[in-house]
Amino acid sequence: MSPVLSIRDLHVKVSGREVLRGIDLDVAAGEVHAIMGPNGSGKSSLSHVLAGKPGYEITAGTVSYLGRDLFALPAEERAREGLFLGFQYPVEIPGVNNTYLLRAALNAVRRHRGQGEIDAYDFLEVVRAKARQMKMDESFLTRGVNEGFSGGEKKRNEILQMLVLEPKLAILDESDSGLDIDALKVVADGINSLRSPERSLLLVTHYQRLLDHVRPDKVHVLAQGRILRSGGPELALELEQRGYDWLLETAA
Amino acid sequence: MNAAVRTPVPGSLSQAAFEQRLRDAIMDAASLLNAKLLPVSVRSAALNRALAAGLPQMRDDLWRYADLKFLGSAPWAPVPCAQDPARWLDAARAQLPERLPDFERLVFVNGRHAAALSDALVPIDAALAPLVPERTRHERFGWLNDAFATDVARLSVTGQRRLELVFMATPVDVPQALHPRAELAVQTGGRLTLVERHCGSAGDNSLINVAVQLHLGAGAHCQHLREQSLAAEAQLLDTLQVALDADAQYELTLLQLGARSARSSQRISLYGAGSGARIHAVAVARGARTLDHSLLVDHLAPATSNSQVLRGIARDRAHVAFRSRVEVAAGAAGAASEQSLKGLLGGSGEVDLRPQLEIHTDQVRASHGATTGALDENMRFYLLSRGLDPETARGVLEWSFLEDAVCRIGDAQLRRAAEKSLLASVGSAVAREALQ
Repeated sequence: MSPVLSIRDLHVKVSGREVLRGIDLDVAAGEVHAIMGPNGSGKSSLSHVLAGKPGYEITAGTVSYLGRDLFALPAEERAREGLFLGFQYPVEIPGVNNTYLLRAALNAVRRHRGQGEIDAYDFLEVVRAKARQMKMDESFLTRGVNEGFSGGEKKRNEILQMLVLEPKLAILDESDSGLDIDALKVVADGINSLRSPERSLLLVTHYQRLLDHVRPDKVHVLAQGRILRSGGPELALELEQRGYDWLLETAA
Repeated sequence: MNAAVRTPVPGSLSQAAFEQRLRDAIMDAASLLNAKLLPVSVRSAALNRALAAGLPQMRDDLWRYADLKFLGSAPWAPVPCAQDPARWLDAARAQLPERLPDFERLVFVNGRHAAALSDALVPIDAALAPLVPERTRHERFGWLNDAFATDVARLSVTGQRRLELVFMATPVDVPQALHPRAELAVQTGGRLTLVERHCGSAGDNSLINVAVQLHLGAGAHCQHLREQSLAAEAQLLDTLQVALDADAQYELTLLQLGARSARSSQRISLYGAGSGARIHAVAVARGARTLDHSLLVDHLAPATSNSQVLRGIARDRAHVAFRSRVEVAAGAAGAASEQSLKGLLGGSGEVDLRPQLEIHTDQVRASHGATTGALDENMRFYLLSRGLDPETARGVLEWSFLEDAVCRIGDAQLRRAAEKSLLASVGSAVAREALQ
């Protein structure tokens, strides 16, 4: 079966500096991959490039997503094709109701699929249920998008959006950072609830602790813009014990 | 100064020609100028002040961003009464804004009270003397409204009142001027919620010259929503003067959404101790429009306060300007002033923001800030990454930018009315749907 995501020799520059220096990665349907690495290793750059953030220059390589050239699609079309990015730092959009954005996002996907818009009442039912799942008070639904949310509340809101949009490939950029133990559990449960044979997950994280709750199929270590090593979940544990330095030394 | 050495506004109108046009207009309009509305002495004094003030000078900081080229061809004489009033009324009825529940409505069409479209409310309270404020060159076009106004909403408010004034323009046969006018006095302790709307169009090369004057008695409250959604060819001059007695509170929300060229001159005089004004303004311009605003707030008494949130969007080749000057007089100890001005650019639009502060006493709390920029790329990418198309994303972010001003409206019904009008002016249909 062809992979959901297939990255070949990807090189990317930001403001003239090479941040990704030859990435190869295949993610099959239903798989959960963790990308780990020290700060500045290129983890967020990889997430952003895949989601279509402006400002990244692709100097070499290809990425295919569901058999299509990912870079031929503008960011909004990637989203409508089921690619979801959970942001490390979700932005605040004051005055724009959280629920309205969710509905606009969901209807954008539905229109793209040739489905009609969701019934407003059904939609509210779905959103309320998902908010309960994320242990978010209903008042969050009527506030401005991330407006005045704490760091943890913003991360939960990202997962809420993911639950409502039901993507085919979710890239979660440090969704665990800044969370206390309880919030981490809620976020992890939310992620686990979406695991299915049709859905792939790319967890980008600095620490191993999220992986205690969301068990990955594969773990990759990204450093200096390259994947230095790939392995199973045991690699994450090894990193937790030994840090990243031994790998960096091996690479050098 | 000798008129001949002045530099006139761009366009072909010389000082002498301007004076001649005004004199001709007065002759043309003599039979239309109701002396019961405003005494001849008031009208002629106002005309003389306007003649003495002349045209604004390009170098004048008060006027430098106004697009007044149209004055070269704009008429001053008011539109005569309709020969066929039914035609005016039908045209006006077809584009009347939706009614606000619980508001009394007074409608004026082409500068005249339209009883058929209004509630049984007499536009002129016979017991009231005309409210003609002192004007300066900053409010100079107000003098020409004094001289040429054909009707007025002149009301005194005691107790609580919710009032909607609709000034409609409908096409007239030859380019002429409309001089919409309101004089409202909120008596001691009174509470007025006021919606003032300007909509429609009198046709190419016509001029709409608004003058609104408000007086708030001691302890009076007024919430005032001004919505300008004139058609794209409209040319507007607007003068607003508000004076506040002790402890009076005034909240102004200006939505500047239409017209080809609009210049709004607003002056708020905090002459009573403890009085305060909160001012929210949004201007949305696209195409080749120019929306220019000059706001003056005078702190003349102790413990007076004003806070301002002014937001402008200029897309395409449009131009939005906000000049906001706060003056704190020597006797205004304990005054507080906050000014927040922001501009959002799209295309090759231009936004000019000029907060100014002049203080003549030591005991003042004052802050001001002005920033202009394009849409935030991170916010934009966030919305695109959720599947919104670029046009919708822009509409959503423009809304967020403007809502920052409108969300501060205290009265819920007024706030909803303002949001509804704003929605019509942001982004795409999808954005509107997403925001409703």
